[in-house]
Amino acid sequence: MSSVSIPVRLSGVTKRYGDIVAVDYLDLEVKCGEVLGLLGPNGSGKSTTIKMILGLVKPDSGFVDVFGMNVQEHPVEVKRLIGYVPESPRIYEFLTGLEFLDLIGDIYGLPLKEKRERILKYLRALGLEGREGDLISSYSRGMKQKIIIISALIHRPKLLLLDEPLTGLDPRSARIVKDLIRELASEGVTVILSTHVLEIAEAMCDRIAIMFEGRLLAIGTMEELRRTAEMPSSDLEDIFLKLTGEEDIKPIIEALLK
Amino acid sequence: MNWKNVLILVNAYVKSYRLVRSERFRRFRERRISFYMLYIGACVLGALLGWFVGSMFFGTSNPQMKELVLQGILNLLSSLPTVTLLYGLVFTQIGQVQRLGVKAYTQPLYWLPMSWAEHTLASIISNILGLPLAVTLFISSGVIVSSVIIGVLPDAILTVLSLFIAIFMAAVTTEMTRVLQVRISGAVARRAGRAAVWLRLITSILFFILFYAVYFSLYYREGLEAIFRMVSYGQRALWFVPYLWPGITISLFMEGYILEAAVPFFSSIFFSYFLFMLAAWLNARYGLYEPPSIRISKGIHLSETGLLNRLGFKPVEAALIRKDFKAFIRRQELTYIFILPIISAIMPILSALNSGSGPHTAYDMYMLRIFISSYITLIPGAVMAMALGNVIMGIEDGSVWILYSSPINAKGLIKAKYTFTVLFSASVTFICFIIGMILWKPQLTIAVLSISEAILIILPLSMISLSFGVKGADFRDFPRRMIRPKWAIISIITCIAAAIAVSSPIIPYTITILLGPHIPKFWSYLNLQSTYLYPASILSAAISFTISFLFYRRAVGYAESLLLRAEEIYESLMFI
Repeated sequence: MSSVSIPVRLSGVTKRYGDIVAVDYLDLEVKCGEVLGLLGPNGSGKSTTIKMILGLVKPDSGFVDVFGMNVQEHPVEVKRLIGYVPESPRIYEFLTGLEFLDLIGDIYGLPLKEKRERILKYLRALGLEGREGDLISSYSRGMKQKIIIISALIHRPKLLLLDEPLTGLDPRSARIVKDLIRELASEGVTVILSTHVLEIAEAMCDRIAIMFEGRLLAIGTMEELRRTAEMPSSDLEDIFLKLTGEEDIKPIIEALLK
Repeated sequence: MNWKNVLILVNAYVKSYRLVRSERFRRFRERRISFYMLYIGACVLGALLGWFVGSMFFGTSNPQMKELVLQGILNLLSSLPTVTLLYGLVFTQIGQVQRLGVKAYTQPLYWLPMSWAEHTLASIISNILGLPLAVTLFISSGVIVSSVIIGVLPDAILTVLSLFIAIFMAAVTTEMTRVLQVRISGAVARRAGRAAVWLRLITSILFFILFYAVYFSLYYREGLEAIFRMVSYGQRALWFVPYLWPGITISLFMEGYILEAAVPFFSSIFFSYFLFMLAAWLNARYGLYEPPSIRISKGIHLSETGLLNRLGFKPVEAALIRKDFKAFIRRQELTYIFILPIISAIMPILSALNSGSGPHTAYDMYMLRIFISSYITLIPGAVMAMALGNVIMGIEDGSVWILYSSPINAKGLIKAKYTFTVLFSASVTFICFIIGMILWKPQLTIAVLSISEAILIILPLSMISLSFGVKGADFRDFPRRMIRPKWAIISIITCIAAAIAVSSPIIPYTITILLGPHIPKFWSYLNLQSTYLYPASILSAAISFTISFLFYRRAVGYAESLLLRAEEIYESLMFI
């Protein structure tokens, strides 16, 4: 398949931090216009995988291709096509929300008119209008998250890497972002989304990849996951707990209540 | 007041200093012994000093000399509480600034069942712990041991009691000013709006200038002994200032006014209690006050094609330069970058003003004018270039992901950071140059030579410090260094060597000027006229550009590595 139909391809990717294997021989292909959910408990390698796709972390072995380019060889070209929302973002708190978005627009080389239109549109949509002139240091966590999301979308990326994107958002904004992601995917934008909220993954993702201790346990649509887990009528939570071997939580609850 | 609560809170407040100290945070292990060693060491050192002073006094056979030494010691004792109050204020304020700088200030856990008085007392005690307490213990043990030998133990005991009252007063005052400062700066921010940012920056710089001007004035004009004498005699005249009552107590007691001494002694205890109650009230009222956000702009104003773009900078580079400029205006912790150039400018000015008061020949004054005007043009800007280049990458701290997840190439990043460093340092140089021109009026040749050499030095120094600043960038918040010490040292040494190399062609001419009539015969054969400066300046410029280019290539290499491996570098720093 061409690089256009498979924008993201990971082949035999392994990443170690000392003795810890963060990602263990991962093979993954993400199709164009697909929303892929990355699920897994803490430390399962989701964020490392996303960072390797973006080129922030170099794999110890294997290779990562984004739109047919090796991310380590063409970092700037790859980054130009990506919008990224990190897991726990820190942004320049000494800038105003508007100045930050202006900076990001300049980094991606947006023309002034286009930059203004897009910034205004997103500020209005996410309810930040009127606060754009305040320093980011005065923003709530949710407002900062909105700014990060706008900064990831402002240059119309072809690939969105979203690490827990809905953290801290109010229900209205969360709904807008969810619908926007689906809409962008239908326009051909590829989305890789990492989340702990299984309902979000179930509702938004075309396919779900379940990671555990750096390995890919299962990948597929909800139906395919049910078949893999041999749980035909179960929801994602039960499938996830079974596949990650954490389904037996009853004794833990009982011990806590004693 | 629940004292158990106070102790628990003190423990928590003291632990917040872990963020100030350079400690390993992962696999963290507390070394309690080092905590206590500070106090034990202070007591032992103080006792040794006390024993030495006492023995000296005991060993003096001349009665007149003995009387003179005793009078000196008594003067010292009566001035100690006020001196303790002063250093207590300085140390506790520095402690507060350090904790605020790394956001290590512990907000009162107001939802727990504890009173504001308990919170306040715990904060005051934690202010005292550390250096203020160690210095007080050092002085106290010295006073006690020496007084036992000399035979003035009652005076010493009262002095020690007064010392602890004074240090408590200092810590309470610091606590009060912290609360008031937040409240007042909040009110100013609300009223001043956008101007608050500039107001904060200018106030900080003026404060540094004033602080160091006073400090160096005292340093150059007064000795330590003079300060003690001044305090000892001056405090009696200012009897109405409650902060001086502990010192007045000792003074009266040593003069034999035992009952009269009881008045300022107990008054100072009541005053301390009053201050504490006031601090607790201020905390209850404003302790949870959140300063309002500063609104920088109203409406949508975006950056357009500006001067930087017209000068050939790409939008991304211009955006980074603008961003760094805003960082230095708005980030309070970065205002400390101004301290080094301020010190390096103030020191020679005050030294020159002081030396100008003595008898000097016209030739001496002429030489002094040349030296000081050249120094002030060359040094502060060079110091700024070194300091700024070192930290300009590290200031990205936790937000560095924005750079390495964006389509920025290494050359663009270095170009933006270098331009900012050069522009900022050159601005400092020009300001200092103008001050030098106004105050010391050097001749034109010297002025032109100084400013051109200053710029030629800034160019390589900015690139050298930037390259090492990128290589050794430290993005951690705790401890906030911005550059790892090893690379900072390497950078400083390399910068000094480069500055000497760049100015080396000019040095022979400088020697000729400075030595004037005292020039050795062999040197006068060189017959260096001002025309020598043309080839010398060209050579100096060639050296400057060569070094800048060599380190530019190095800096780009380091930046490429940083942008590719930034996440790993960031993670690995956490294990240092």
